[in-house]
Amino acid sequence: MIEVRELVKSFGDIHALGGVDFTVSEGEIFGLLGPNGAGKTTTISIIAGLLNADSGSVRVSGMDIRKDGRRVRHLLGVVPQDIALYEELSGRENLHFWGGLYGLSGKRLREEAGRVLDLVGLTDRADDPVREYSGGMKRRINLSAGLIHRPKVILLDEPTLGIDPQARINILDIIRDGVSEGMTAIYTTHYLEEAEKLCDRIAIIDRGKILAQGTLKDLVKLAGEGNLVTVSGAFSKEQVSPLLKGVAVEQLENGSLRMLVPGQAELSGALGRLFSAGISIGEVSIQEPSLEGVFIKLTGKDLRD
Amino acid sequence: MNAILLIVRNDMKRRLRSPVSVICMFLIPLGLTLLVGLVFGRHGKVELSHIKVLVADSDKGIAANFLKQGMKQGKLAELIDLVEVDSVAGRSLMDRGKASALIEIPKGFTVNILDRKPVVIGLVKNPQEAFLPLIVEEITETMAVMIDGAARIFEKPIGEARGMLTGGRWPEAAELAGLLSSAKPRIELVKGYLSDTLISITSETVSAPDAKPERTFNFLALIMPGSILIGLLFISEITMRDILREREAGTLARIIAGPVRSDHVIAGKMLSSFAITLVACALLIAIGRLGFGIAWGSPLKLIVHVVGSILMCVGLMAFLYGFIRSERVADAMLPVVIIILCVFGGAMFPYEVMSPAMQKAAVFSPAFWVIDGLKRIAIEKTGWGGIAPHLAIVYGLGAVTSVAGAAKLRGKLAGKE
Repeated sequence: MIEVRELVKSFGDIHALGGVDFTVSEGEIFGLLGPNGAGKTTTISIIAGLLNADSGSVRVSGMDIRKDGRRVRHLLGVVPQDIALYEELSGRENLHFWGGLYGLSGKRLREEAGRVLDLVGLTDRADDPVREYSGGMKRRINLSAGLIHRPKVILLDEPTLGIDPQARINILDIIRDGVSEGMTAIYTTHYLEEAEKLCDRIAIIDRGKILAQGTLKDLVKLAGEGNLVTVSGAFSKEQVSPLLKGVAVEQLENGSLRMLVPGQAELSGALGRLFSAGISIGEVSIQEPSLEGVFIKLTGKDLRD
Repeated sequence: MNAILLIVRNDMKRRLRSPVSVICMFLIPLGLTLLVGLVFGRHGKVELSHIKVLVADSDKGIAANFLKQGMKQGKLAELIDLVEVDSVAGRSLMDRGKASALIEIPKGFTVNILDRKPVVIGLVKNPQEAFLPLIVEEITETMAVMIDGAARIFEKPIGEARGMLTGGRWPEAAELAGLLSSAKPRIELVKGYLSDTLISITSETVSAPDAKPERTFNFLALIMPGSILIGLLFISEITMRDILREREAGTLARIIAGPVRSDHVIAGKMLSSFAITLVACALLIAIGRLGFGIAWGSPLKLIVHVVGSILMCVGLMAFLYGFIRSERVADAMLPVVIIILCVFGGAMFPYEVMSPAMQKAAVFSPAFWVIDGLKRIAIEKTGWGGIAPHLAIVYGLGAVTSVAGAAKLRGKLAGKE
């Protein structure tokens, strides 16, 4: 459905994308997971036709966005990271405008607006000005404006940014329901749990490059068989590292240490060496292989950094 | 086309919901005009006053009376307010600037004229007035020539009637009959020169059949075109700024991400700006008519000129916004541009009071052609020929700036900012 090939984009001296390459199949939710500044929004913007890539290509349903831009844009729905609504208009009026831009009119427009308002649970507030909505409500109307015309492909750029967990779950459910009706989605996020719960395939992106992509299972395998072990206590990385040769150790902001330990035997050995050396350990937590572990392994840092 | 109308409708709806900025810009020209209205009165009409002329008559003879009466007759009576004073009082009043001029008729004025001797009439002019004393001087000279001419022609009969003319009394009927009988040959002699002249002058004042004679001038008709131009520039600026606001709000990107051509987006924005500016202009004109009594002249000429002027203002703002990247830059730059255009165009100070150098520079300001066109339509009631250059310039500039502005903005959108 969507083919992105060797996308390169620079803003002056800043190399935002250094050859991004991925494919999205029809009916799939494809996640772009990465920290702030990784190139997620730049990638989405190029696919949406808001930016021109310096080189590379994007094809949607076989159509090149550079040559058949308007036809491609007919197929797309965009949910931008920032709320892009007219605050002085009501939710319904916003939907009428955005739907109208995609060729909806009259009875069909009203019906589709009613449908998406119902989908996001804002029918009873539809006629209030958007400026009176809460942050979560604005996010939902922002999402519904991208869905009103039933796009073939929906591009979602961090649609749950800044909202509470319950609202986030609600939005993820809406997206999942939309996709189940035949939509294809590209979803960017820096929340690991969102990518894990929602996306069929995930690409990990950092500093303008895709480091790995595949299903969650495929990616977790990249992390190896190791567990992510977090140890807190009265010690420093310099004290512990010599005792844990062969283990990747990272010191967290709160002073804890995080290690990727290959297996149970190695874990026991590592802890034993620490105790033997008189290191005072307060707490130990063990996490099985996950996307976070993959990210740390690939980038050497936490996604939240 | 649907996208253009959709954008226009959406923008108008948004303006109605949040009209503060447009109302503020609308209040600027209205406020300026109201201030001028307060100064000059509801209809801004300035009464053309009588010229106050003092006359100190030390002679009291018939020639002096003839001079004084001449200034109280016919058209001169509508123009001159003649007040008799003595010389000392007259000088005192002139020192205090209480009159335009003081005519001092010396003692022996009539006798000297009858004796065909030179005589001097004193004329004291008010130095604080530029034109009125000169008018009095001209009138006095004319009266003097007439009196002198009459004295020359009727020298003999005047000589015979001298006693009557200098006695300070009016002649009896029999004395007058004798005088006229003596003057008749003289009249016959000059009849050939006084009657049946080859050159005649007819006077005509063009006005509506039931129009009252106008002795007032609506000063607001001179000021309000400039105020309207200020309003057009500021309102078109604030409405075109919406492109910047939508860019910063993210809605412009969302529109561009849709299946809408960028030139349709720009056309929609410019059309919205045009529509809102047109409504504001119509309101200002209506207020000028109903509130300040300004007769705007031919509605068709007014509409054609206003439409071209708005096209020019919107095009100019679109062009400028093609270069501006943020509201901060717009806030810093555009009011300065507008004020410069207004000052040079005669919006702040009427063109008529500008220095010659400024007047020469004014024609290079697009604002001048808007304001002058409105004045010609409203004040001079000019025909199409009188505003043809103005229409050519506003429509021409409007077309050029609109096309250039649209191209610049399209380039910005196509560059995907």
